[in-house]
Parts: sequence; C-alpha cells; structure tokens
Amino acid sequence: MKGILGLFLVLAALVVVPAVDLAFAAGDEPGEYLDRRVVIWNLFFRMMTVAFVVGAVVSGTIIWQVWRFRESHPKAKPTPYEGTDW
Amino acid sequence: MSEHSNWPEWIYVGVVIALMCWVGAEAWQAERLVEHVPADAEIIKVTGQQWFWTFEYEDGTKTIGDLYVESGKAYKFEIHSKDVIHSFNIHDYVVLMDAVPGRVTTVWFAPVEVGTHDIQCREYCGLIHYNMRGTLHVEEAST
Repeated sequence: MKGILGLFLVLAALVVVPAVDLAFAAGDEPGEYLDRRVVIWNLFFRMMTVAFVVGAVVSGTIIWQVWRFRESHPKAKPTPYEGTDW
Repeated sequence: MSEHSNWPEWIYVGVVIALMCWVGAEAWQAERLVEHVPADAEIIKVTGQQWFWTFEYEDGTKTIGDLYVESGKAYKFEIHSKDVIHSFNIHDYVVLMDAVPGRVTTVWFAPVEVGTHDIQCREYCGLIHYNMRGTLHVEEAST
C-alpha cells in the first residue's frame, strides 16, 4: 500500500510540475529587454559547476570507501555478519 | 549493532533534494526571463519549408533567406511550417524553436550589435536539410 502511494505521489509530481511550469513560468505580463545569450549560458555554466561538483563528491566518496574498507586495510574490522574468526 | 544510525543517509537525501530544488528554481527563473516577450517587440512571421526560410515583417514585406533586424530592438518570431518539422536556429543568439506544421511557435530576441549571423535549420527535414540556411543581418537602429 505504501509503495502504491509513493508511486502515485511520484506520478502526480511528474504531471503537476510541468503543468504548473506551463501555466506560470511565462506569465502574461510583458517582459524586459535582456540578452538571452547571457541568461542561457549563465544557467548552463552554473549547472555544469553543480554537475561537476556533485560528480567529484560522489566519486570521491566511493573511492575513499573502497580504499578505507578494503580487506587489507590495517584498521579493517570484521562485521558481526562475517563472524569474529578473522 | 546498537550504535546503528541512519543520519548520514538522511543528510544525503536532504542534500540531493535541496540541490534538485535549487537547480529547478534556477532553470525556472531563466525560462521565465527568456519567455517574457517585451510589449513593443516587432512580430516577424517565419515560415519554414523544404528547404528555405521566408520572413514576413509587420509592414507586409517578405524576404527569403535573409532576415533584417535593427540592433537594440526586440523581435518576436512567429514560426510556421508548410510541410515537415523544421527548427529555426540563430546559433549566435541562442535562438532555437521548432517549426511544426499546423502550429505557431514563438521565440523572441533583442540583438545588441551590428553584424551578420548564420541561420540554420536544426531538425533534419529531408535531402537538402544541410543547406536550409539563412543569414541574419543586424543593422544600425534607424530611429
């Protein structure tokens, strides 16, 4: 039941967010003069910065985990699941 | 296992949600800015067909392949297609909008410098798609 509810929540968000975007993003009031090159390329470079920072943090965490929790690490300890006979 | 804790996972989930909200808000704001057409924008009817572009200005004159605008003014393109799907692109000004048969799509821009720029169809539309080009001529403002 919880799974179905979660699924419907995700589906509702997928429908609702683009609908709200379509209804309100452009608006009816007249816009201002702007250089769309600046707006669009700024957005692009900021998003690229986010993407590369997230990529570096995630891959760095994975690399650290693989290095720290390898069997041959001096501080490696067996988990309770693996028993105490190490 | 008594010291088990989920808090790093919850922090991770929170950071991901916050990042997605921020990215979504930034994109929304950029979209809001570039989709608001200034009230005094001149309307230019752009018609794509295999394999050339026709531009019709507010005074009724038409040009084929060459688009003439003035720097410092805003222009709203109403884009039509007579046959298949094309895509109207002025790469240097980040203008890109599909031309869909039976629909009118719109996009606006305000050129800031005098010069010439390429116009190119960006949706494969048949044999001569590669040569469905045009030229944007940005001229000095007349008034």
